[in-house]
Amino acid sequence: MARQKSLPSAPEASGHLADKTLIIDNGAHTLKAGLATHLDDTPPNLDSCHIIPNVIARSQRDKRTYIGPEYSDCLDFGELAYRRPVEKGFIVHWEAEKAVWERSFLHKDDAVVKCDPEETSLILTEAPNAPVALQRNADEMVFEEFGFAGYYRTIAPTLNAYAPSPFPSTATSVSGVPLECLLIIDVGHSHTTVTPLHHGRPFQHAIKRLEIGGKTLTNQMKLLISRTFDVHREDHIVSEIKEDVCFVSQDFNADLERVWRGGRYDPRAVDASLLVDYVLPDYETIKRGYARPHDPAVKLRDIMLGIGTEGGRREHVLTIANERFVVPELLFSPADIGMRQAGLAGMVLQSIDALPAGFRQAYLANILVVGGTSKLPGFVQRLESELRSLVDVDEVVRVARAEEPAKNVWLGGAGMAKSADLMRSLIVTRQEYAEHGDGWARRVFAGKARR
Amino acid sequence: MATGALRFRTPHIDELPTTQSRQAPGFAWVAVAGGAQEDPSKNWGTTNRKRARVSLGGQTDQQREAVSAKQQREIERKLRDLNSDNAKDVVIDLPKKHGVGVGGVKAGKTTNTKKILASGKNFAHYLDDEEAEIARTGRRDGEAEAPPPPQRASKTPLARRKTREDSSISGSPAPSTMQTGPPLLPRGAQALPHLRANENDIENEDYDDTPTLPSDAEIEYLLSLPPLTYTQARAAPPPATGPAPRRFCETCGYWGRVKCSKCGTMTCSVACKDVHDLDKCMKMYT
Repeated sequence: MARQKSLPSAPEASGHLADKTLIIDNGAHTLKAGLATHLDDTPPNLDSCHIIPNVIARSQRDKRTYIGPEYSDCLDFGELAYRRPVEKGFIVHWEAEKAVWERSFLHKDDAVVKCDPEETSLILTEAPNAPVALQRNADEMVFEEFGFAGYYRTIAPTLNAYAPSPFPSTATSVSGVPLECLLIIDVGHSHTTVTPLHHGRPFQHAIKRLEIGGKTLTNQMKLLISRTFDVHREDHIVSEIKEDVCFVSQDFNADLERVWRGGRYDPRAVDASLLVDYVLPDYETIKRGYARPHDPAVKLRDIMLGIGTEGGRREHVLTIANERFVVPELLFSPADIGMRQAGLAGMVLQSIDALPAGFRQAYLANILVVGGTSKLPGFVQRLESELRSLVDVDEVVRVARAEEPAKNVWLGGAGMAKSADLMRSLIVTRQEYAEHGDGWARRVFAGKARR
Repeated sequence: MATGALRFRTPHIDELPTTQSRQAPGFAWVAVAGGAQEDPSKNWGTTNRKRARVSLGGQTDQQREAVSAKQQREIERKLRDLNSDNAKDVVIDLPKKHGVGVGGVKAGKTTNTKKILASGKNFAHYLDDEEAEIARTGRRDGEAEAPPPPQRASKTPLARRKTREDSSISGSPAPSTMQTGPPLLPRGAQALPHLRANENDIENEDYDDTPTLPSDAEIEYLLSLPPLTYTQARAAPPPATGPAPRRFCETCGYWGRVKCSKCGTMTCSVACKDVHDLDKCMKMYT
């Protein structure tokens, strides 16, 4: 049922693959975007991947609105109001997303990745299990509004198969050839997904999602810190605290004991090596918060007034104790806040159990962790030990984190873009879209229609 | 409307926390009888709700269910807040951009894009739309044939049905249609007859019972399965035999050892409990 689509400008002849490819890993927190080309053979360079905050923020103090890359120009992150175009991992608010994309790619003077859509192909990633209407919206916006010359939409985990393998024993794959068996754990901003891939194609019935991501951890951190000092509206600052100070504990019970003050009749000495004093930024003298080991001799009230600090500056200091490891613990046991889902290790096993038994060992031995939240110290070690305790003694469990967890999906996309044959087989050009319509394009992306 | 305790065991319904859960039409408040608290001959006039609950013959099933439903709604509200983006009360207008590109600043270039850019739908709307579409046509967009129809709702009253597994323990929230596939789907060594152990084989020391890799046809079949819907792909709850959920102290974050009798939150020690009673006690659960 081919519907002729009327595009605003006439597309050029089909079969012509654009020279340059723009790869956008469209995440809820940041966009990872960069250009790659299949004309030369240099391996994809991580420096050409730019991380652009995917947000529109309004500052009451500056009375300015920061769109996308302008966010890093903001001088005062206090009490910023945020508007995110991506909800739960999917692009829902296209008005805002269009503003961010235009500011990043089409801005006359100051684009982060300057490109001309009419002559560029686009590889766009989305989260797994998208509602069909959102996929249709994305396809229509890309072709009809921006007018890219070619387009391929895929779920983000599949691109990891085209990135170099982090396992020392697996040979680095030639560009354009996917790795054979991979279990991708993508710990993102909105949620965490587990995807088994076979030669770069996902087993759709085994994709599982845990609704805890970086955003949940930041919000939980806000709740816990607000017990002493109200930070509910300081999203950026708490996010920085989380990145600076949180870690995943290898022995949760023991660590919790170490930082307990004890009861009224049973006081205990707190192990000060786990405590941290965090100096909050005030955007006048202190531009970025930082952490230092706890110093019990220091009087917090004096420091607030500037007595006893270096140069007499006023520091607002928070002492952070068990929040450091209680917050990331949510990933491993969501039942702590009442969420009725299995933790990360349980979810991995649920996904593997959905696969044929012959694949069990293959996938347990090839677990790749990507995503910004996986940069928490101790994450991989904890996941590996939990998985090991849940499987048989003679099954091998190998978990590795990509070298650049945030950019790995982009790296895979760039590796895919290097191979002209692969691109030709995947990309839907504008003319084909105009001839066959969006339903056909959706089926091609899902692998159901032959071209 | 509610007369006496419930007679049939209600099925276990798990309300998934989506982005918003509205009181949809079809929702009705049901009065829960006060049990023996309302009977003047039994009620000796204490205002301490805990004592009244305990001494007057305990709570009825309906009361317990009402309390736990309320607690569950509270927990779900908190989870929704945790996963929110602070975008609800925020209205940021996009400034008019200059020198960016041809074409309408706000409006799109074609009718489809105009609709997309002007729509104020959020994710919960799209989810609801998709579920309505599936309920209406029985299949998602683009699939060649409909998935096998779900089990027809049985008309046998619950009391007469043969016992079946509690649905919350069975693992994945995906409907049972997903589990039935072609008999090729191997589940452990049982499905692969050539691997089934014979007595002679077990005694043979070289017997190797690792399952072999599935055949290419099976792999192709699995790879071509359609994607699950958003709610089907949620990870299932942990098995009910696992450890109970851990509770923490509300004030300091250590293990929760004592439960507040008024609001049910836990604290770890007398000092933390005093702080809780002064500032934080919600006194909300009966």
